[in-house]
Amino acid sequence: MTDESEDVSAPPEAPQDAVRGARSPNFDPSPKAFRETRSKDRFTGASGVLFEQAMAQTRMAICLCDPSEKDVPIVFANRAFRDLTGYDDDEILGNNCRFLQGPETDRAQVAKIADAIEREDVVVVELLNYRKDGTSFWNALHMGPIYNEHGELIYFFGSQWNVSDVRAARAEETHAREMARELSHRMKNMFSVISGIVNITGRMRGIEKEAREINDRVQALARAYETTLDNASTGYIEIGPAIRAILDPYSSDESRLKVLGNGLRVPFSTVSGIGLSLHELAANATKHGAWSGDDGLVEVDWYQRDKDGIPHLLVEWRESGVQDVIEPTQSAGSGNTIIDRMIKYGGGKTVRDWHSDGLHVTITYPVGLTPAQ
Amino acid sequence: MTMHPTILLLEDEPLILIDLEFAAEDRGCNVLAATDIAKAMVHIQNSQRIDVAVLDVDLGGGTTCEPIAHKLDDMGVPYLLHSGNLNRKDETVQELGVRHIPKPADSSFVIEAALDTIDN
Repeated sequence: MTDESEDVSAPPEAPQDAVRGARSPNFDPSPKAFRETRSKDRFTGASGVLFEQAMAQTRMAICLCDPSEKDVPIVFANRAFRDLTGYDDDEILGNNCRFLQGPETDRAQVAKIADAIEREDVVVVELLNYRKDGTSFWNALHMGPIYNEHGELIYFFGSQWNVSDVRAARAEETHAREMARELSHRMKNMFSVISGIVNITGRMRGIEKEAREINDRVQALARAYETTLDNASTGYIEIGPAIRAILDPYSSDESRLKVLGNGLRVPFSTVSGIGLSLHELAANATKHGAWSGDDGLVEVDWYQRDKDGIPHLLVEWRESGVQDVIEPTQSAGSGNTIIDRMIKYGGGKTVRDWHSDGLHVTITYPVGLTPAQ
Repeated sequence: MTMHPTILLLEDEPLILIDLEFAAEDRGCNVLAATDIAKAMVHIQNSQRIDVAVLDVDLGGGTTCEPIAHKLDDMGVPYLLHSGNLNRKDETVQELGVRHIPKPADSSFVIEAALDTIDN
């Protein structure tokens, strides 16, 4: 079979090239030139046209090196390769790839390439390469052997991709993660120091009980804030993990706390009001409510509802299984005062219903405010 | 458990250390307080006995409580870790495989948990 008879899909070549070259500033003559000089390797006929167009169109920088020649020179490089490196065909062809290396190129990575060529193996490395103008870029190089139909090694195929931006983004992400960890550590340490000061002062003044109460509140907030560190930069946080963190120390017996709410993003400012309120409810349940006896249960649910066109966070606290529910005659207790005021100042509302087997509380809190507020 | 157990407290932040010390004294403990590894080592060498220890994981300047933890392991002294560092939680804490109480935690709770490890 001759080349011509196999070449059924290719239109007449000269006019096509003329038209293509005229229309496209990106026309790449290299693939065609290459296969015209390489009749032996079957980059001919229809497959040759496919090769030609694929090499010309891909944005991936591609080269072929000939292992049968001394020093494995590049025998083909596409336009993307020339664009990436800044070199022209006459500067590329006939040379070993190492002209892309420079003073900062990691020798260990280069050795991996040499080793892969030696063993006719596939290798993927990231190494610093240099353009003709001396500027450097991070090259993700994939290199591997190409065999003919007789199983003979004919080329090494190299694809290179500029991953400088990817590497920079990766480094930035790592840095941001480290910063967040450091910040988290310092924040927890700061809360610990505050607790220490409160306890020490309480002891010296003989008000340990009051100090304990202050610390319980401080630590509840610390737990809630801790969950928000990952995504606080957006101004919105997931309220679920914060609620779980607040209630965590009270829920040693999982059968007595049912957390029903699901994922919901709310402004960061919501955390202190809702967080502290839930802490007070939990503390009261431990003292007088569902968690004071042996069988009481607390269910916590939350969801979003629009009220007068403004989104509100609704948190429902439902106690059950309480033997002697005693509705306080006065709105006694600093805990309740804190809840009512915090929610009110946030533009929300607290409703308490004393059912026969336990307290139900519904907190309604506007969450349509901008993160800045 | 002995009436007055000896507890080693290793914590590089003095305010937290004092708080833990008070809480331990309230429970009738004999307290050995240290803010770094060297001071903790001196306590270990000079004491007749140590019943339990509370170790802050990150001791500043890139040092961790690991040398003391291993020393206590060798001596068969139980201890728990008290730390706010996620990083260390992943590595040192998991490696040591003992109970870990994340900061911030109530000092009396931390001491209580430490004394529990003696009982067990």
